[in-house]
Amino acid sequence: MASKQSTPKPSPAAGSFWQRNRRELTFLILFVVLLGGGFTLISVNWVNDHVIEPFTAGIARVSGGVLHAIGQNVTMAGTVIRNPRFAVNIRNGCNGVEAMLIFLAAVLAFPASWKSRLTGLVLGILAIQVINLVRVVALFLTGVYFPKIFDTSHTVIWQTIVILFGVLLWIFWANRFATPPPAREPAT
Amino acid sequence: MATAAKKGPRSWAVQLVLNALLWVVPVALVWLVATPVYNRFLLGSAENLVHLTESPNVTNLLRKDDHFAYVQRRDFPPSKSLVHSFRVTDVHFHLLMLGVLFLAVPRVPWRRRLENLGWAVLITVFFDIFLIFFYVKFAYSTQLGSWSLAHYGAFSRNFWGLGKHLLDLPFKFSLPFLLWAGFYYRDLVTQIRPPATPAG
Repeated sequence: MASKQSTPKPSPAAGSFWQRNRRELTFLILFVVLLGGGFTLISVNWVNDHVIEPFTAGIARVSGGVLHAIGQNVTMAGTVIRNPRFAVNIRNGCNGVEAMLIFLAAVLAFPASWKSRLTGLVLGILAIQVINLVRVVALFLTGVYFPKIFDTSHTVIWQTIVILFGVLLWIFWANRFATPPPAREPAT
Repeated sequence: MATAAKKGPRSWAVQLVLNALLWVVPVALVWLVATPVYNRFLLGSAENLVHLTESPNVTNLLRKDDHFAYVQRRDFPPSKSLVHSFRVTDVHFHLLMLGVLFLAVPRVPWRRRLENLGWAVLITVFFDIFLIFFYVKFAYSTQLGSWSLAHYGAFSRNFWGLGKHLLDLPFKFSLPFLLWAGFYYRDLVTQIRPPATPAG
């Protein structure tokens, strides 16, 4: 091994797949591990009962408050919002937790200072929850006034909007606030 | 100079967000038109995949309408043969996000953009087939009461249950982003704006 030290150092393009794509692969692996870990964690019954359910009930209360403010005669019970014409039960998938976890995993996996990460997480999660609030309110109104398109609106349109919003938010954060990569040493 | 720099071209990220907004409607229209055909393709492919894991072949994936499908077991009594149903369209709405994200990347030649999109769609098609396979196995191992208990052990039930949960939620939702990051991470990193330094 030592006798081969004198051979010229290969350029990055000639390195192994791992060497050439180390940064991308590190990010992707970290992202998948954090995402899988996060979703496994929230699927544990205790976490679901003591963290996710109360959080979802909070979302139901805030959404119910907004609906009340815009003239809908709604009542809330746990994660259910109802009026005489329609009722929704806010469950996993509608509480914004999925988009939050995707955003959180992406922010933590990306190389950035902890200050940037913390700022990104606080503002990002807040923004995702605001969009999710709009989703719940809009879905309730869709159920009341346009029930025929409720299913499509619920599973396709708003899921896409919320997740896409989270992804675009992360791209914006990474582009504006993350640490730029160190300059590459010139090849010799 | 500083004023000129401020009024320079839009940042890469802002341009990407604007492009994404422009692409949402065209991509959604293509996805809507293609959905019935793609649903049929997915059901046929997933049925073939399920057949690889069973002998004799007893599973049929039947189309109920343009969006829903039934899982049928031919070895069950006819009145109980439809053991599960699911919305096929829900499996692949992430194609919408995928199309928007891949087409929105600015400052990339069209040829490369479309080539990357093609590879990403191909990977997503395989993922979707695999996800329906997990739907079927999840239904068999956890949803058929005593039959599930008799034919699947505790490990299998947990494996198919957790697998379906992880594929159906986090990985289905994040697949477009994962693929996007795989193809465009380097573009993103090279476009990162250096932190502002105080003037003078």
